Amino acid sequence: MSGPLVLAIETSCDETGIALVEGGRAVHANVVASQVALHAPAGGIVPEVAARAHLRWILPVLDEAWTAAGVGWHDVDAVAVTRGPGLAGSLLVGINVAKTLAWVHDVPLVGVNHLEGHIYAAWLKDALQDLPDPSFPLVALVVSGGHTFLAEMRDHLSYRLLGATVDDAAGEAFDKVGRLLGLPYPGGPAIQRAAEGAVARDARFPRAWLGDSFDFSFSGLKTASRRTIDARRADARLVPGEPLPEPLTAELAWGFQDSVVDVLVTKTIRAARDTGARSIVLGGGVAANAALRARLAGEAEALGVPLIVPRPGLCTDNGAMIGAAGARRFEAGERAGPDLEARPSLQLASP
Amino acid sequence: MSARRVGGGAAPWLLAIDSATSTVVVVAGTLDGEPIAVETFAAGHRHSQYLLPTLERLVEGADLRLDDLGGIVVGTGPGAFTGLRVGLATAKTLAHQLGVPIVGISPAEALLDAAGGGGVGPPVRLWLPAGPHDRLAVDSGVGPRRERDVPADDTVRMEIAVDLPGRAADAALERGRAAVAGLPAALLRLGARRLAAGERDDPERIVPEYVTPPRGMDPRLDLERGLAWSRGPR
Ligand SMILES: [Zn+2]
Repeated sequence: MSGPLVLAIETSCDETGIALVEGGRAVHANVVASQVALHAPAGGIVPEVAARAHLRWILPVLDEAWTAAGVGWHDVDAVAVTRGPGLAGSLLVGINVAKTLAWVHDVPLVGVNHLEGHIYAAWLKDALQDLPDPSFPLVALVVSGGHTFLAEMRDHLSYRLLGATVDDAAGEAFDKVGRLLGLPYPGGPAIQRAAEGAVARDARFPRAWLGDSFDFSFSGLKTASRRTIDARRADARLVPGEPLPEPLTAELAWGFQDSVVDVLVTKTIRAARDTGARSIVLGGGVAANAALRARLAGEAEALGVPLIVPRPGLCTDNGAMIGAAGARRFEAGERAGPDLEARPSLQLASP
Repeated sequence: MSARRVGGGAAPWLLAIDSATSTVVVVAGTLDGEPIAVETFAAGHRHSQYLLPTLERLVEGADLRLDDLGGIVVGTGPGAFTGLRVGLATAKTLAHQLGVPIVGISPAEALLDAAGGGGVGPPVRLWLPAGPHDRLAVDSGVGPRRERDVPADDTVRMEIAVDLPGRAADAALERGRAAVAGLPAALLRLGARRLAAGERDDPERIVPEYVTPPRGMDPRLDLERGLAWSRGPR
């Protein structure tokens, strides 16, 4: 393995991540301090809480990354940092730490788009893994609590956005419907677990196809879920506050998940066919969903296109994915100045 | 871009950073708190963009070297969270990486000191904004209080107001401007005193002084717990 050694920092949302990545592929360290438990009482991410936790924990995360790495500052070729999109107060903690590190250690600074980081996670390999890189052109589906989009890449750092959610992110829909079902936050893993126990698989939730577009919409599904859950509660004569019986929770969780997975997979496969993709990449926290992975794997195989899904710890927000994208940007000659700013609404293909 | 050079043996210096008010202050001084060079800028919402370039300019302009840095003084608030977080992220990373001591100073205390209210006698009252509508009062010798918790007090010797145009008396605002002008020297003075007394803050743990809990925040929030660690492949 060779190529630049990048120290990468990710603080766009509620994970404080710092990694050391060599050549955009080899992960020497990838430490993440996740704040899920801090946000669970609110049932969603509280931006001010996230910013406070990043500032409190970022240096311990940095220390931990160095402990794991077995390399030193003299080996580091660049510092990469997420500049957007994300929560403004969270982004600027990582950005200012990164700028200071670049200044003190006299190494170049590279700004990375968080969304491309999720795609570049597909190039990452843990020590001694010898997996092939994704080949171009590729289609990437990125699904998480903050984003849901489909993009085409014909070469490194070259993106064409095919479609994106027009309202909620898929992960957000999981959280909201999980709450309606009385399941714990975050909703994704809870709904998956509940759905796995479903005996009856009759609940049918609507799919928002939006014509031929590659865009997604989940707000209608959320409303339909609420209506169905209310109707089933009324049928079962439940009083407010009384939990749904477990078999019913399982059936509704299955029906909701099936709708989300169906739309995501159908559009991704169609995008891969339309663009002549030679690989499909799946990323983002929702990529940990077993039903989504299994269905996409099956349909990709039927299409004859390899599917690359990083292991779950590289799908959720982490520093290594920023290091993977940062290495490409560094090698392409990109450098950020000490005035690098947070860009909370940065788009995938924007400069 | 680097301010680290080899060789030399220049006198150690102090760096003070405060980004709690709309005027960001970056100042270099001697270990006993005498200013060597000062840079200030009106931050608006651009603390994050301008702080590091300003630091670089200060260090290069005064021909200082990071290797000679002997201590860091940083404003911890109360103040605007965004500005404070930028200042603290920068200051704590510097202290951590260079292995130099860091002390947090309340910029309110430094502003009172600059306005001559740090001594004994009837209190001087400093007013600071707390969000777009509320105000905080800091009396010399007393911690910050929300406006509604501050009793009418005719023993207050004088009032000064910072970052409150249209929300404080003209005379108080004028004194506030004078206090801000004296802030760099006051930060260094107070910081140098704490450092000389052997006081140290932990760079990992130093965070802004948060006076108001944000909306939606769980009152049981404990930043020392509730983190789940994933240590990567090894
Ligand atoms: Zn993400």
